[in-house]
Amino acid sequence: MSRAELRAVGLVRRYGGLTAVDHVDMSAPPGMITGLIGPNGAGKSTLFKLLTGVEQPDEGAVLLGDRDISKLRPDKRSRLGLVQTFQVPSLFTSMTVRDNLLVGVENRRRDYGGGLFGLGVRKNPSHEQVVDDMLASLGLSDLADFVAGSLPTGALRLAECARALCAHPDVLLLDEPASGLDAVETERFSALLRRIADAGVAIVLVDHDVDLVFTVCDQVYAMVGGKVVAHGDPATVRANPTVQSVYLAQGSVAA
Amino acid sequence: MVSVELAIAGLAIGAVAALSGIGLLVTYRTNGVLNLAHGGIATLVAYVYREMTVEWGFPVWLSAVIAMAFLAPGLGLLLERLVFRPLARRRASAAETLVASLGVLVLSLGMCAGIWGLGTRNDTPSIFPDERVGSGSWSIEVDTLSTLALILVACVFLGVVQNRTRFGRQVRAVVDDRELAEMSSIPADRVAAVGWAFGTTLAGFTGVLLAPRFGLSPYGLSLVVLTTFAVIVAARLSSLPVAVLTGLAIGIAQSELTQFSVTGVFADTYRTLTSSLFVVVLLVLLLLSPKLRELGGDAGSAGRLSSREAPERGTLGERHKNLIIIFAGIVMLMAPLFFGAADLRKAFLVPALALIFLSLVIVTGYSGQVSLGVAGYAGLGALFSLKLEAGEFPGLPEMPGLLAILIGALLVAPIGLITGYPAIRRRGLALALTTFAVGATVTVFVFNQPDLSVGVYAEPLYLGGWMLNDKAFYIVEMVGLGLGLLAVYNLHRGRLGRALVAVRDHTEGAAAVGVDVRNLKLLAFTVSSVVAGLGGALLSHSTGSFSSTQFEPMQSLLWFTAVVVFGADSAVGAIIAAAFIVSINVFFPEGSSTLAVGILALSLGWLPGGLASAVRGLVRFVALRLADEFVEPEGTAPRPRIPSQAGVLTPAAQPTTGRSPAAVAPGGGVTVDLTAVDRVAAARGLTLTPFGRSLLGRLGGGAPAAALPVAASLPGPNGASPVTAGTGTLNHPEGGRP
Repeated sequence: MSRAELRAVGLVRRYGGLTAVDHVDMSAPPGMITGLIGPNGAGKSTLFKLLTGVEQPDEGAVLLGDRDISKLRPDKRSRLGLVQTFQVPSLFTSMTVRDNLLVGVENRRRDYGGGLFGLGVRKNPSHEQVVDDMLASLGLSDLADFVAGSLPTGALRLAECARALCAHPDVLLLDEPASGLDAVETERFSALLRRIADAGVAIVLVDHDVDLVFTVCDQVYAMVGGKVVAHGDPATVRANPTVQSVYLAQGSVAA
Repeated sequence: MVSVELAIAGLAIGAVAALSGIGLLVTYRTNGVLNLAHGGIATLVAYVYREMTVEWGFPVWLSAVIAMAFLAPGLGLLLERLVFRPLARRRASAAETLVASLGVLVLSLGMCAGIWGLGTRNDTPSIFPDERVGSGSWSIEVDTLSTLALILVACVFLGVVQNRTRFGRQVRAVVDDRELAEMSSIPADRVAAVGWAFGTTLAGFTGVLLAPRFGLSPYGLSLVVLTTFAVIVAARLSSLPVAVLTGLAIGIAQSELTQFSVTGVFADTYRTLTSSLFVVVLLVLLLLSPKLRELGGDAGSAGRLSSREAPERGTLGERHKNLIIIFAGIVMLMAPLFFGAADLRKAFLVPALALIFLSLVIVTGYSGQVSLGVAGYAGLGALFSLKLEAGEFPGLPEMPGLLAILIGALLVAPIGLITGYPAIRRRGLALALTTFAVGATVTVFVFNQPDLSVGVYAEPLYLGGWMLNDKAFYIVEMVGLGLGLLAVYNLHRGRLGRALVAVRDHTEGAAAVGVDVRNLKLLAFTVSSVVAGLGGALLSHSTGSFSSTQFEPMQSLLWFTAVVVFGADSAVGAIIAAAFIVSINVFFPEGSSTLAVGILALSLGWLPGGLASAVRGLVRFVALRLADEFVEPEGTAPRPRIPSQAGVLTPAAQPTTGRSPAAVAPGGGVTVDLTAVDRVAAARGLTLTPFGRSLLGRLGGGAPAAALPVAASLPGPNGASPVTAGTGTLNHPEGGRP
């Protein structure tokens, strides 16, 4: 099936006198992992919020396919296929992992209003099936009946990702998905992201872990001071003098 | 057309409102607590002051000094020390603090009602001589003049303290970040205590100044004080001068309005406006000002009020247990059918009140929003159904009583929808105050209008030509309660229930996967208003007529507090709460239930999650102990082991640490059944203690299967839960699987 591309066109976001995001253009095509890097205060997080709909841009537009979604709230964007995960995993802590995923499946379309008085509402067996398949494919089946609040971070990341996938995204926005994961877990997670992208999903990844971004991404945008200073495949961006100067100062990009 | 005389008259009220606002602001600025108890404290101090002057014959000045210099600040210090300091210490959520201040409000009102009754007393002497100074239209009451002077002194004093003294800097540091301030060796507790004492002193002044004007009654006076929240909302909870000016301005405007009169349909509405401008301004400010939406943080998201702190895992055994509880509940609720006539009539109130509480469970417990206006919706349901019955509802024909009750409740839906729409866009204290203002406005403009609400009586109910007797009416009520429970059940199960819990657990996360947060909240709000309307309709039918005192705004606060106390997300808790309140009101003097709820609310500090969670915790504790008697605790694993990574530690594949079925040889001399018991246990990775084995053996073959799942479902120290999860005996709580 054809999936939509996420594009940002001339995005601007100002806070008082500060321009946090300054005329940013970017695109996240289907099947590719797009990375977003930059030092603290570069505007990554603001850009991310503009993409997810937590904040609205002062200028410019966010496009999903041909549709301008700049003014839509996050839940509406999600139903259109733009799904995000959070820096701190956002699982519904009092539910089981399975129910968490069910929420993802069930709200893909706006169809929950039907069952107010329990009339004619049958559990949709295909929903259950989607969830079970998803759990199995991410190796989460054993955790299905655990209450989410009782799981460690690694499992939560995975479960949140599974929940996002259950919402059947065209575009998956991941906010620092590797924070709190150890090396082995990070590696697994990268492999998972590749699998998701290969299925035709566009992934946008914001992370402090520059090495992760350079390893896993197909294209990288580097931001400094609200502007995109470099864009291209990881090798190109890594070689960019501005990126070098910013990150060499922090010593986190080994050549 | 500004009349000087009216302006000066209006100043009297405006000045008191301003004074009240200063007190609220100081408490908020120093403690971060929006003190809903302000009105309660004002009322309590006013009652004590009146008691001293009128009953004990103390001179006015002495009573005033005792009330204002000792009692009021003393109350503040006491509250800070006993209630709010512990909350600040454990960094309680804003929702908990809100409930605590509601608890103090309810407790103080309960004390007033318990000691002095609910009636209005008009004999409170004024502190200041009832004289005027000045001449002609420029004369002003001494009372007003003194209040203005007091405001001036307070403002100047606060300004000087804040900007010129070391203490002022400390205050600002504490307000900024209490913990950080403490690390810089600033005595944060002292700052907080002084803030409380100052706030309650001004509350005391407010009460004593208002009592002679408005009459002294627990609910009435505290409501007047609560409407002065308009002043601090206008000031955005920060600016002292804005608060003072707003107070004076509303007072003057209200007074100036009296020089005009409107004839026709809106005559009564206009007349009401001239005495209730504060409520209207409060509502309008909350609705119109977009910046107030996030006022005072996130107190309105009441997820933390949930009584289910530790997530539960339902099992087959537990499901059976629930059925038993439900059956027992039904039997208990049916018991009044065998009461005598008088007692049965008193029991009428239980299902009606339970429905109103259920509506709060929906909106607060499930949807996670604070609602302080439920009495408004309940009252509207009552009024609508009685009007329909009498054929007085505009546009609708007269209809039989039972239908009228149902339609009356449903007619509340559009009102819930319209008022809910702006309300749910607000969070935190803004939401709490908005719902309160809605309720208060409805009361003032509808329930207190003689044309609309006096002489509205319930007629006998008929069903198929038969007049329903008391027992039949009680059964009708049970049917109504059943409808309410059905609504609750549907909002808690399946797709809708999951989405609601998702919103409560993590709103942004829910939105991120496409849950339509706003519409979902609006749906919950609307359903809740209908359930409240149904409860209200039944309430007025059980008492026989519409009475505005049954649905006054302060009731909303009392009811909300009661629901939180009994577990905000527990339908059973709501019913128990209703039974509790009604029976206390039957067996003890009026006002006792208010007192009891207040005491329970303050004990929430020790019982987070309400009584429901305390009971659940107790049951779990006992069951855990019992389980330990039956099943060997696994010494090595203190907590249920959770696979740290998917696929690495499959519980089923986990070696049972030397406890393979073979190792658990049945003890000699017991029946064959026992092997079966052990096999069942071993299949779940458990080992029976000798005691457990012998007991289960004695119970016979059928028992183990029934008893074990219960024990195994406990989050015990024996790794039981993961194992049950792995072997698939879990039936999960939302009923997602058949």
